[in-house]
Amino acid sequence: MRILVVEDERKVAEFVSRGLRAARYAVDVAPDGQAGWAMVNTYPYDLVILDLSLPGIGGLELLRRIRRRDAQVPVLILTAKDATASKVESFEAGADDYLTKPFAFAELEVRVKSLLRRGPVSQGGTLRVADLEIDRLTQQVRRAGRRVDLTPKEYGLLEYLATQPGRVLSRTMIVEHVWDESFEGLTNIVDVYVRHLREKVDAAHPVKLIHTVRGVGYSLSEDSAP
Amino acid sequence: MTVRSIRFRLTAWYAGLFTVVAVALGALLFVHIKSYLEGVLLETQERRARQISDTLVANVGRTGEAYVAREVAALYDPEKSDRFIRITARGGRLVYVSGPPASQAFDPAAVAPAPASSPEEFTRKQPVEGAPALLIAAVRAGAGGTSYLVEVGTSAAPVESMFRHLLVLLGLGLPVVAVLAASGGYILIRRTLRPVDQIAGKAEQITQHNLGERLPVPGTGDELESLSVALNRMITRLDDAFLNSKRFVADASHELRTPLTVLRGELESMVRDQGVPAAERERIGGLLEEVERLSMIVERLFALSRLDAGEAQSEWVRFDLGDLATTTAGQMALLAEDRRISIACEAGAPIPVDGDRSRLKQVVVNLLDNAIKYTPEGGAVRIRVFSAQGQAVLEVIDTGVGIPKEDLPRIFQRFFRAGQTRSEHPDGAGLGLAIVESICNANRGEVEAESVLGKGSCFRVKLPLAV
Repeated sequence: MRILVVEDERKVAEFVSRGLRAARYAVDVAPDGQAGWAMVNTYPYDLVILDLSLPGIGGLELLRRIRRRDAQVPVLILTAKDATASKVESFEAGADDYLTKPFAFAELEVRVKSLLRRGPVSQGGTLRVADLEIDRLTQQVRRAGRRVDLTPKEYGLLEYLATQPGRVLSRTMIVEHVWDESFEGLTNIVDVYVRHLREKVDAAHPVKLIHTVRGVGYSLSEDSAP
Repeated sequence: MTVRSIRFRLTAWYAGLFTVVAVALGALLFVHIKSYLEGVLLETQERRARQISDTLVANVGRTGEAYVAREVAALYDPEKSDRFIRITARGGRLVYVSGPPASQAFDPAAVAPAPASSPEEFTRKQPVEGAPALLIAAVRAGAGGTSYLVEVGTSAAPVESMFRHLLVLLGLGLPVVAVLAASGGYILIRRTLRPVDQIAGKAEQITQHNLGERLPVPGTGDELESLSVALNRMITRLDDAFLNSKRFVADASHELRTPLTVLRGELESMVRDQGVPAAERERIGGLLEEVERLSMIVERLFALSRLDAGEAQSEWVRFDLGDLATTTAGQMALLAEDRRISIACEAGAPIPVDGDRSRLKQVVVNLLDNAIKYTPEGGAVRIRVFSAQGQAVLEVIDTGVGIPKEDLPRIFQRFFRAGQTRSEHPDGAGLGLAIVESICNANRGEVEAESVLGKGSCFRVKLPLAV
């Protein structure tokens, strides 16, 4: 899978490409719209990550050109502009996703993965992490075969962590996914729910599945060090 | 109309000035007419005295004093014409004196003799007890080796009675003049100042949210027109300054995003790097928490600047405020339970409001979060939704630490944090309540706070009830 990152901020481009390469993607970086356009025309990319404020050809203009040439390639907008108008404009021009800076890298990874159709797309089925089983149809959770009773929000949180096993999800991502945008900034609610979840899921077991990475977020994984 | 108003003061000045001018004019007229009339009367007496001295006294050597006295009485008949005539020879010897006049205005016999060292011709005013004075003209004439003094006088009664008439006229006229001046002045000033009332009324309505509006300009070409034009220019400058500061916040938070992105990205990649020792990763995690806090402040500032700019509401729907409060309280119940705080929601009949549901939910979230944060363990948080006086009211009441009275008016200001909150809750940024207020204003509502230190606080959101 080959990804093109069109980003004029060198340092942003650097850590994005480094992180994506670590996730085993092939990454090319274009520092401006002109170079981006040239590279899109040279190689069939699987995904384009596009900044909106670019020197020369602007991000939006580049997006329109890409869409005129190739309707298929997914485009993720990565920008510091978060006005609703800017989002609407981007989606109208053919963007597939929109992420505002600053962002948690995990968030970018999750979105890239889902745009590349690599992640779990099925809403049903059973999620398994070690001896934890989550039945997404009946919303029942079992740990080592024993049933765990969860409130709807606790279930939502656990399921979200389980869909991205091993990946550290930021509290902001969790709030936006499990609650809604009104709770933005109220990330301490995540901490409280994680603590309750731990008591129900992990307390009785020697192997802990829920992990905290300070400053980054939480993850669900069999390994002690995610 | 208050005593200090320009209208009152100008009217008073107007009336006062008019009255003073009228009084002064009256007094001047008075003095002038009096001396003029007295002069005219004296002139007549003088002419008569000269007549007597020229025609009768001059021939006294030939006719004798008795003839003169007889002729005077016969020709001038002073008693009937209310006149005083006296002829005195040198040394004060009386040649003739008229008898008491028909009007009894004076007693000729009682009139004091003229001073000996008087000039050839002179006039004097002889006061009479209990009656108008006597105006006397005297002429000296030499005849037959003797010098005679001929005195002719008349009562000043006609002059005095005319004065009295004038005085009455002036006394009656003055109040009328004063009242006319006052009411005329009042009407004139009120007409002149009416645009001032209109300008003041409009100026009262202009706040930071409608700085685009302007004051009415009364196209009169006078000072008031230039005043309102000048005020409008000032509002334009204020508007520009406001726009600039809003744009500054928007630009600043936008510019801060890129370095924050780099910081966060690099630090996260270090935390993920298993090659970095765990203790180091823990410290970097601490840094990341600060970066996240910084990002949150930037986000909130940006949100505020967009609310200020009146950016179009993302949604405008009708919903039940009670339902919103109940749901949100339910979602946050665990936060309260975690601190052993009871949370109760009192919402009865549906309270429909129109507005941006998700932003108003943020209002409830922020208020509840604050209430839970600032209430000690074991306390209680209540949320009430009801309608009163055509308004939808949402109250969040806690049994928390309360807000010091002197801080209460400032709690909705950006970055303001009351009392000890900065040291006790260092994670906050002091923007939550500012956002609450901005959202309420954007939804045509308002928010207010009451608090008793040590007992608790009540935050009240009022929104227009949907009809």
